[in-house]
Amino acid sequence: MTRLTARADRRLIRANHRSQRFVLVELTAPLADRQDDRKRPPVNLAFVIDRSGSMSGEKIHLAKRAVEDALARLDDQDRFSVIAYDDVVEVVVESTAASAEARRNAVDRLRSVDARGSTDLGAGWLQGCDQVARHLDAEGVNRVLLLTDGLANRGITDPDELTRHATELRSRGVATSTFGLGADFDEQLLESMATAGGGTFYYIAHAAQIADHISSEVGETLDVVARGAELEVLAGEGIGVETISPHPLTSRGTRSIVALGDLVSEQVVEVVLRLTFPTGVAGSEIGLIIAVRDQDGALERAGLGDARLAWTWADGQSNDEQPRDVGVDRAVARQFAGRARQTAGLSNKQHDYKTAQLKLRRTAARIRRYAGQDPELGELAMVLEQDAGKYAAPMSAPSLKMAYFESTNVRFKRDHLGRATKDVPPGP
Amino acid sequence: MVYSLAMTPSNPVDGRYTLTELADLAGVTPRTVRYYLAQGLLPAVGAAGPGAKYNDAHLDRLRLIRRLQGEHQPLAAIRKELEGLDDDAIRAATLAPAPPPQPGSALDYIRSLGQPTRPARLARSSGSLLKRMDVPLPAMFSEAPASPPPSPPLNRSQWDRVPLGPDVELHIRRPLTRSDAKRVDRLIEIARDLLSEDQP
Repeated sequence: MTRLTARADRRLIRANHRSQRFVLVELTAPLADRQDDRKRPPVNLAFVIDRSGSMSGEKIHLAKRAVEDALARLDDQDRFSVIAYDDVVEVVVESTAASAEARRNAVDRLRSVDARGSTDLGAGWLQGCDQVARHLDAEGVNRVLLLTDGLANRGITDPDELTRHATELRSRGVATSTFGLGADFDEQLLESMATAGGGTFYYIAHAAQIADHISSEVGETLDVVARGAELEVLAGEGIGVETISPHPLTSRGTRSIVALGDLVSEQVVEVVLRLTFPTGVAGSEIGLIIAVRDQDGALERAGLGDARLAWTWADGQSNDEQPRDVGVDRAVARQFAGRARQTAGLSNKQHDYKTAQLKLRRTAARIRRYAGQDPELGELAMVLEQDAGKYAAPMSAPSLKMAYFESTNVRFKRDHLGRATKDVPPGP
Repeated sequence: MVYSLAMTPSNPVDGRYTLTELADLAGVTPRTVRYYLAQGLLPAVGAAGPGAKYNDAHLDRLRLIRRLQGEHQPLAAIRKELEGLDDDAIRAATLAPAPPPQPGSALDYIRSLGQPTRPARLARSSGSLLKRMDVPLPAMFSEAPASPPPSPPLNRSQWDRVPLGPDVELHIRRPLTRSDAKRVDRLIEIARDLLSEDQP
């Protein structure tokens, strides 16, 4: 059911000290109107495939097959292009309307793509963005799907620069999803490009899974009900707002915008905010208004109102004795646990096992401090403690990548395959 | 080496910051610093590795790179710009006001990456919540001014504020001696753990 709710972990704040409180915002996107298929926004996709030497054999073969399968799901109202890159970028198919004939021609052209050379990931990806941008559809879902098995080792290779371009292009209507294949790509780079680019990061452990993941991503683009969704947070004077979940946030004065990207039918999104409150007069209140919007007003049409929360300044004792909303505590702990695993994974990769272990142990200890008797929080802390042992020794590239992918999925409330969580009522 | 005229590789004895400190002060990740070192955008230090030390010139250079990146200049263009500047010119450039952003389409943006051109940024236009609200808003929701106050000029030594918790901040006058820097690092780590950033 379409809804927007906001809950605070605690409702009292300290009169004589600054306080930090957490807010869990839950949004369920409306159900797509399946009676009228023409209502889905058209998609404008670029498939960008790494054809560097390491992709040779089964990988490139299965990647091409996955693109063929994906093309079969598009129709006349959609557009697509196909780009293959190594150290040079080849536009295999220029952006074209997805007629049956264009799709057949694309399959023929794809056959000629084989693997060779090094990896100019930046140039290949930007060519995909260029193809999408040339025919940017103001009413459609404009997205680049980047598949790679390697590191960016030619052209633009600075991870921060690539991520910044992804942010800028997203703000101009071109989104990016990334697919990392095998054991040798940079999971942090691909994840941050997708997060900044308003898309999804997928880890593909085995080439046989390429088609499943591409299919799931294309399926989501065809299932979008709200494009460029955002939370708008209007906070009382002096309240600092941050996101703890990985959704990008921009603040200007008392207004903050949290970017949620394109939402699919019935998708459930969880955003965790951390607020820092100023001191104030005991007994008086300060508040927050949260609203949601998207490019086409679909969420507003679905009747989503705003959510409001208020906190009351009170003395220290009342603050110490107040009840907690354990549902919010759990969401907060899931975010911090996910973040700890991501940073521990990076430390492990750099052979800094001590830091990896410490990070997990400390996060577990902090969760225990507010876990009380809650079994879910207790288990979260316990699993982190067990993981601390695992991260204290060298881990294989695939297990690090899988752990990073899983943590990203938890933090974005996606399932273990990177698919959006949906609020679907249980069957009969 | 692009620094042959303007800047000689720093003497390790001059170095005041560890890699992590340098990265923190410039607001980048240690990984980015290593990348710029490898790319020759930052001058190499005498002793590479975990014990390597960096100085204020590194910090200024790093701040300027971030600034130019914020203006959407590709690294190749930034490298060219830095080549012509000595340490003082770099410091002066970090203090100069940034040019205002300009809008542009996705296509303009992609094309602009091929050449070091004007900055581009697009403000998102959309119905604002304030306008949509059907009830009058209390005074506490009035909007604060958007532009930050001008930053004061830097001295050779400067105070850094390290937030440790909502009510606690540590002020450090940099540069510190190597041994003090190590102690301060430990202090920050212990303090952050005590005041724990993720303690609801």
